[in-house]
Amino acid sequence: MAPLLAARGVSKAFFGNPVLRDVSIALQPGRVHALLGENGAGKSTLINLLSGALRPDSGTIEVDGRAVARMTPALARQAGIAVVQQELSLTASLSIAENIGIGAYPKRFGLVDYKELAARAKAACKLVGLDEPLSTPVGNLSLGRRQMVEIAKALYRRPRVLILDEPTSSLSATETKILTDLLGRLRGEGVAILYISHRLNEVMALCQHVTVLKDGTCTADRSLEGTDAAGLVRLMVGRDPGDLFPKWQPSGSPGAAISVRGFSAGLMHDVDLDIGTGEVLGIGGLVGQGQEDLLLGLYGAIPARTVSATVNGVSGLPGNVPKANALGLAYVPADRKREGLHLIHPIITNMMLPSLARLPSLKLRSRKAERQKGRDLAAQLSIKGDLQRPAQALSGGNQQKVALAKWMPHDPLVLLLNDPTRGVDVETKREIYLMLRAFAAAGKAVVLLSSDTPELVHLCDRVAVVREGRVVRMIERAALSEEAIVSAAMGAERRKVAA
Amino acid sequence: MSIIPYARADGALYWQVQARRNIGVRSLFLVVLAFLIAYAVLFPGLFTVSGFAKFTQSWFPLALVAMAQAILMLTGGISLAIGATVSLGAVIAATTMGGPLGIAGGAAAVALAGLGIGAATGFIVVRLRLPAIVVTLAGSFIIGGAALLILPRPGGSIPAWLSDLLAGDTPAAFVLLVVVVLLWKLYLATPLGLSLYAAGENPVGAYRSGVPVDAARVAAYAISGLLSTGAGLFVAAQTGSGDPVIGTAFTLNSIAAAVLGGIGFLGGQGTMRGALAGSLLLSLMISVMFFLGFTPVAQYVAQGLIIIGAVAIPQFRKVQQ
Repeated sequence: MAPLLAARGVSKAFFGNPVLRDVSIALQPGRVHALLGENGAGKSTLINLLSGALRPDSGTIEVDGRAVARMTPALARQAGIAVVQQELSLTASLSIAENIGIGAYPKRFGLVDYKELAARAKAACKLVGLDEPLSTPVGNLSLGRRQMVEIAKALYRRPRVLILDEPTSSLSATETKILTDLLGRLRGEGVAILYISHRLNEVMALCQHVTVLKDGTCTADRSLEGTDAAGLVRLMVGRDPGDLFPKWQPSGSPGAAISVRGFSAGLMHDVDLDIGTGEVLGIGGLVGQGQEDLLLGLYGAIPARTVSATVNGVSGLPGNVPKANALGLAYVPADRKREGLHLIHPIITNMMLPSLARLPSLKLRSRKAERQKGRDLAAQLSIKGDLQRPAQALSGGNQQKVALAKWMPHDPLVLLLNDPTRGVDVETKREIYLMLRAFAAAGKAVVLLSSDTPELVHLCDRVAVVREGRVVRMIERAALSEEAIVSAAMGAERRKVAA
Repeated sequence: MSIIPYARADGALYWQVQARRNIGVRSLFLVVLAFLIAYAVLFPGLFTVSGFAKFTQSWFPLALVAMAQAILMLTGGISLAIGATVSLGAVIAATTMGGPLGIAGGAAAVALAGLGIGAATGFIVVRLRLPAIVVTLAGSFIIGGAALLILPRPGGSIPAWLSDLLAGDTPAAFVLLVVVVLLWKLYLATPLGLSLYAAGENPVGAYRSGVPVDAARVAAYAISGLLSTGAGLFVAAQTGSGDPVIGTAFTLNSIAAAVLGGIGFLGGQGTMRGALAGSLLLSLMISVMFFLGFTPVAQYVAQGLIIIGAVAIPQFRKVQQ
């Protein structure tokens, strides 16, 4: 039987950076197909290719066995392909029914046929167990209920192919159960389902077939029968690190830089954590489990509560950013374009920003002193070229170095890094790694939040794996491996039936 | 796919949705009611036909421009050209209606000018992806200049019987307002009209859902232009002639009325009934303060304080929750 929707040998690169290489996938009617892979493996790009939101650089998309020359979202809709994306497509001020039908309203005399809409939306809601009145504004619903509306919206369009991108990440156990039952029934009706989830137990219970992506290539395309969770984890990880990472040497000394008990901030709850001087502590886990809130909470950028805390010998959390800086904490954000740098301003201005208050001469800025400092920093971090150019003229890697460099005049004791090597070229990555190890060797502490598992394995002294707002495992150096981190992150070792 | 059963039709959905939209503006309605009572106490003439007619006539153009502004703010846009467009509508009406085009021709010219200017503005903002505030600021100079070209100084004329009909002792303005509101309800019941909210609040999601986001936004600008020149025609009828700068105050008053009515600046927040209530409140405030003998300066200050309060109260409530 021809697959309802397929990709044949598709490749896609963004700005010369290959994201998918020669990947094939075939969605068969009546089958729930799992798509697995680590963060950044290319899952979202593959979905976007299948749904026409992006077009492949090479390879073809096929519908019912026929190649589609130019797939678009409109064509995909016509072909009965519905996607439930991670970011919701709902409008808070419109009602449940109006959201479900939008873009495909039943019409009568040119007007929205509310009677027909109510009937069809009600049917779709019933399937996903939504029993709120159809007139309820979506803005009044919890995140989980909104996710269910999103799924009902896909069902309203009576799809032949249903693509779900991490649909259960915000669902309660009951809602997850309703969804898994529903997918079973849809499968019985001959719908082809592509299911992306980081919850391996769910995948094992629900899916019949699996495609595994690793670094943009397909490492497995096979039946799930006879496969176990550990085997799947092995297919997702494992990359030859080459000589990217500096040789690891212990540098930990017994002191504690930060010590918190019962720490809660944002998504994080009740965390006990000790960060030693002279160590690189990795923070691992799937994207968006609360890792960022941990860093921001320690840094005083978002409200945080603790039972007790000591930061560089001072008890209590800093509570705000200037205090954190005064205590020797520095934070390098992940989104350097928005949070880390002021892109249209000169490189030197960016480097000097945290130090402006420190170079006062008669309380005025000393351009001369700033220039000197800037040159020193640039030499130290091998940032080449005119420092008067705007920061956006630099490559991603060099921008990241500037974002790091600006804290150096402060001589921080603790560096909080949020995914510092994302979108950074290999050469710069290596430079950053060397810097971090050198920093730790000097008896300071580095907290490295990273979505790159090999980085955590090869660079860190210990890795705290965060899942659903808690530190679920602290992996010591001796036990560090990609498999250990990924299985802890996905909860694979916990024997829990997908509820 | 037969698994999706066909549920029994629920005919009441439309009315339930309408009722839900009242929830956010209930307290505003109460405030408006309080001001209405104050107004009626200060000015008992409200309950005569001519008193009621005068009252709605003073509110009517503000109501139209508040709608014109609100429809844009719902799509995430804004217009600083509303006042200039009102002026243009007024001078077109005053120069054509007494001439060979006649009243029908003049009204058609006013409507076409509004739709055309609105659609052109919308096209520039939406298709060229330029910031609405800049495009409409520039537009206000161009449109205001055009009004001055057509009628360099106040003049022209509106046929007396039309002035009497619209701005005399009959509540024609009120009837017109009801018609405009009904037309708006009709538009909001079309797929394109309902898309306004989605296009304003979550344009990416709306686009992915198959909503013609750009069309919905351009249509909003066109309708906004039509409402503005329509307000201009009415103002010309009120004064019996055209004045090329008569609309200027409407730009900021339209924003004030929309904000009072709970329309947010981020798009997709608020309701048209809120904007209408906001315009009524603004109109009542001005009258009540006038009757109470406030000096003009005190009126402006009070008006400003009330607007800040109206925006701040929902924020405080949100923080408390």
